[in-house]
Amino acid sequence: MKNYLLPFAAIALLFASCSSDDDNTQVDPIVGDYAKGILITNEGPFMNGSGTVTYVSDDFTTVEQKIYKNVNGSDLGNIVQSMGFNNSDAYIVVSNSQKLMVADRYTFEKKDSIVSGFVNPRYFASNGQNQGYVTDWGDPTDNNDDFVALIDLQTNNITSTISVPFGPEKILNHEGSLYVAHPGGYGQNNLISVIAGNSVVKTITVGDVPNSMVVVGNSLYVLGNGKPDYSGEETAGSITKISLSTNEVTETYTFNTTDHPQGLTAEGSQLYYNMNGTVYKLDAGNISLPGTPILDGFFYAMEVKDGLLYATDAKDFASQGSLYVYDLSSNQQIQDIQTGIVPGGIYFNN
Amino acid sequence: MNRLGYYIALFLLLAQLTAFAQLDSIQKLPEVVLSDARLVNFSKGFKVENLNDSVVKRNSNSLTEVLRYNSSIYFKENGYGMVSSPSFRGTNAAQTAVIWNGININSIFTGQTDFNIISPLNYDEISIRSGGGGVQYGSGAVGGSVHLNNNFSFHDDDVTNLGFRYGSFGTFGGNISTIQTWDDHYLNVGVDFISSENDYEYISKNGKNHHAEFLKFTAKINEARKLKRGVASWNSEYSYSDRNFSGGLNTVGRDGYKDVNTRNLLQLSQKYGQVETRLKAAHLFEQFRYYPDSEGYDYSQGRANTFIGGFESELLLSRKLRLNGKLEYTQIDAQGENIGNRNRKTLAAVVLMNHKPLKNVSYGVNLRQEFLNNFDNPWLFSVDAKWDVSRIYALRLNGSKNFRVPTFNDLYWYAGGNFVLKPETSYQVELGQEFKIKDLNIDLAAYYISSRNLIKWIPTSGTIWRPSNISKSENFGLEAKVDYKVRLGKEHWLKLIGLYSYTEAKDLDKDKQLIYVPYHKGSASLNYQYRSVSAFIQGVYTGSAYTTTDNTDTVDSSKVFNLGVDYSFASKPNVTIGGKVNNVFNVYYENVAYRPMPSRYFEIFLNFNI
Repeated sequence: MKNYLLPFAAIALLFASCSSDDDNTQVDPIVGDYAKGILITNEGPFMNGSGTVTYVSDDFTTVEQKIYKNVNGSDLGNIVQSMGFNNSDAYIVVSNSQKLMVADRYTFEKKDSIVSGFVNPRYFASNGQNQGYVTDWGDPTDNNDDFVALIDLQTNNITSTISVPFGPEKILNHEGSLYVAHPGGYGQNNLISVIAGNSVVKTITVGDVPNSMVVVGNSLYVLGNGKPDYSGEETAGSITKISLSTNEVTETYTFNTTDHPQGLTAEGSQLYYNMNGTVYKLDAGNISLPGTPILDGFFYAMEVKDGLLYATDAKDFASQGSLYVYDLSSNQQIQDIQTGIVPGGIYFNN
Repeated sequence: MNRLGYYIALFLLLAQLTAFAQLDSIQKLPEVVLSDARLVNFSKGFKVENLNDSVVKRNSNSLTEVLRYNSSIYFKENGYGMVSSPSFRGTNAAQTAVIWNGININSIFTGQTDFNIISPLNYDEISIRSGGGGVQYGSGAVGGSVHLNNNFSFHDDDVTNLGFRYGSFGTFGGNISTIQTWDDHYLNVGVDFISSENDYEYISKNGKNHHAEFLKFTAKINEARKLKRGVASWNSEYSYSDRNFSGGLNTVGRDGYKDVNTRNLLQLSQKYGQVETRLKAAHLFEQFRYYPDSEGYDYSQGRANTFIGGFESELLLSRKLRLNGKLEYTQIDAQGENIGNRNRKTLAAVVLMNHKPLKNVSYGVNLRQEFLNNFDNPWLFSVDAKWDVSRIYALRLNGSKNFRVPTFNDLYWYAGGNFVLKPETSYQVELGQEFKIKDLNIDLAAYYISSRNLIKWIPTSGTIWRPSNISKSENFGLEAKVDYKVRLGKEHWLKLIGLYSYTEAKDLDKDKQLIYVPYHKGSASLNYQYRSVSAFIQGVYTGSAYTTTDNTDTVDSSKVFNLGVDYSFASKPNVTIGGKVNNVFNVYYENVAYRPMPSRYFEIFLNFNI
């Protein structure tokens, strides 16, 4: 955190005219090439405003803010929660605006949108066979109306919804089966739903508040945050290992009761997560908590790829955040790149 | 600090003894009895502006509008009629105290007043007191205070006012208020309401202000009775507000909000020679209900009852030295889904002194200390002076220490509330100059405010936000006010009022301007009167304001003008008919990013004065 590099100048920053919000009007599109890079979804300011997407080229020399707006001349909407891909399409979940925006993932030209049928959409995943899934909290005060919306990715229509337990959040595709973590919206839950086709085929109990998950080998590793102290019944964070062939829990590793880890990511057999201002490394085949501390920082999102750790800092949630890149061979920060407001998702666009 | 408490108690006791020692002839009552005389008597070195009736009537839809066009206060309004919070001299929303007949009515839960749920028509006098008023008005009077007063006079003629308003976006309103005096009685009863579909078009955007309907209803009773040695009075107010919250440009509005407030104040003032005593008992009730789905039945709510009992005595010696001592006990009982059952007891001791050593010089020293509650209560002071240098020029100077106690939300909110918060504190100084050349009045003020221990909600590890006393700020500003009245020919009158303010409010940790504090704000109104016809144009310029703490995004500046005309028939009863065009040039503007304000709209009104 100490060796701040000079932030890269944001180039091609275009302030598209804010007088046009009309979807049918084509403002001369500045067609960027957003392949071979990193896309950061920025939630945007909470109450008012629009989330954005930041593009960073693989070699870090090109950074462009607000790429969706630059290309399409319109805002994405309030709280850009997350993004997912299907073939050459990017599906952008805009939670407060209750919509799913579809853009070409390489040019970022808008292709479609789904603006009805969502209540509190959170995350998107495709099953690889043109079927999309979007987790949705429903009314956050109602624990019984949570669902996963099914989307036909050829027509971009919601075809049906699947009722699921309270608080569905992250969703991951493994060979056509969808694994949905249920940390539990504004409350707490401890489940993974497994969805195949149009139905929930299994519900797996895991450690409290599963906030992130990764596939390593033939196992799903689920990181549980544990119930926070303010819930009145604080529980420890945990890692639950699930066999992907049987969908059974094979191992559970528990942290200290007051430890609440988050941001699980993996490369090869190495797991990485963030806890109490430190990033730890674990060997997936030989887990011994908490693992090896490798660097310091409180991160809002974390991903690892090709020996580099990408981590975002949302700062005070009311100003532009940063993407830090660390070289995992030396655990040194090699980049500090400005993002939009509240950078919540890191996606590799290759 | 305890010793100070003893001195205050001793002073009050002495004042009381003096009171009984000096029984003499019955005092004459002033023409108009002020519900909060301290605002006049102990604020000599402060800027206090009174907004008269005609000014209020031009923007009668909300207190936000009245003050936006007629003061330097900036309002962060979440779309027309939605939640509106003030920034007075660049301070935060909980640092403007709203004072109803001398009583602080900021919400127990949020520490602020939503200026869109207060009907400006409910009061005889709306005053703006700039600068620190913590000694007199308690928590939150940091940037300044807005005073809503119901005064009375036993000499008033019986009069009844009846008004109807109709406007664009399905807006209609009505008000009736009557004043009756007989023998030793004064009675004022009134109700008013406004309701609006509020579905204006977003200029040059695709969209409409959906889900933004509002309804506001208020009722008041103000009663007074002349006694042998003084006056007994009762002020009572009920207000109800029901709003749907609009979504603005990017979101879909779904939620709704209902507020109910009742306020009651009993006062007994007695005069014994140079001593006046005042017993006061008050009850405030506030309730909010938040509906995540405005069409649903589920809501979360908070309710609070506040009881205030106070005793005050004031001594006026040879018309030069005025001393006032006050003890005030406040008990708050609140309950809410997010805070549980909570209470707070506070005893405040206040000593106010104003001395006029020379004919043209007056100064004041004021002290306040609070006890009983669990905070490390700082003692507050304020000193002020006014020097009438010449007939056309006067100097004003004041300095004060003020505070804002943590709100019940700050302390107890589940999850995140922090029991160990301290009050926010601030020091400030102000220098003012007043020029008065015939019908031209100019007021120039410069101030500096330094605030510490500001409460800020920040994300802590994990996902939880918690408040803590971490932020520091420094505000500096300049304010100018000009008003000028000129008679053209025999029967033509022109009146011009102009206001300009420059506000710098820095977050000292980041060295950046605070969000939603525009550097520049200006407003002006020009009024023309010819016999029974009057016309006005009013405008407000709001400079751009940052919306992010690193000052990278802004909400754009705007200029908005309104035009109005009315005609009074010299009939009996007196009838006035008029109309107004708001946002004449149909400009797009926002006070909060992505929350468009109304396009051009029309209003007509009909008033009867019986």
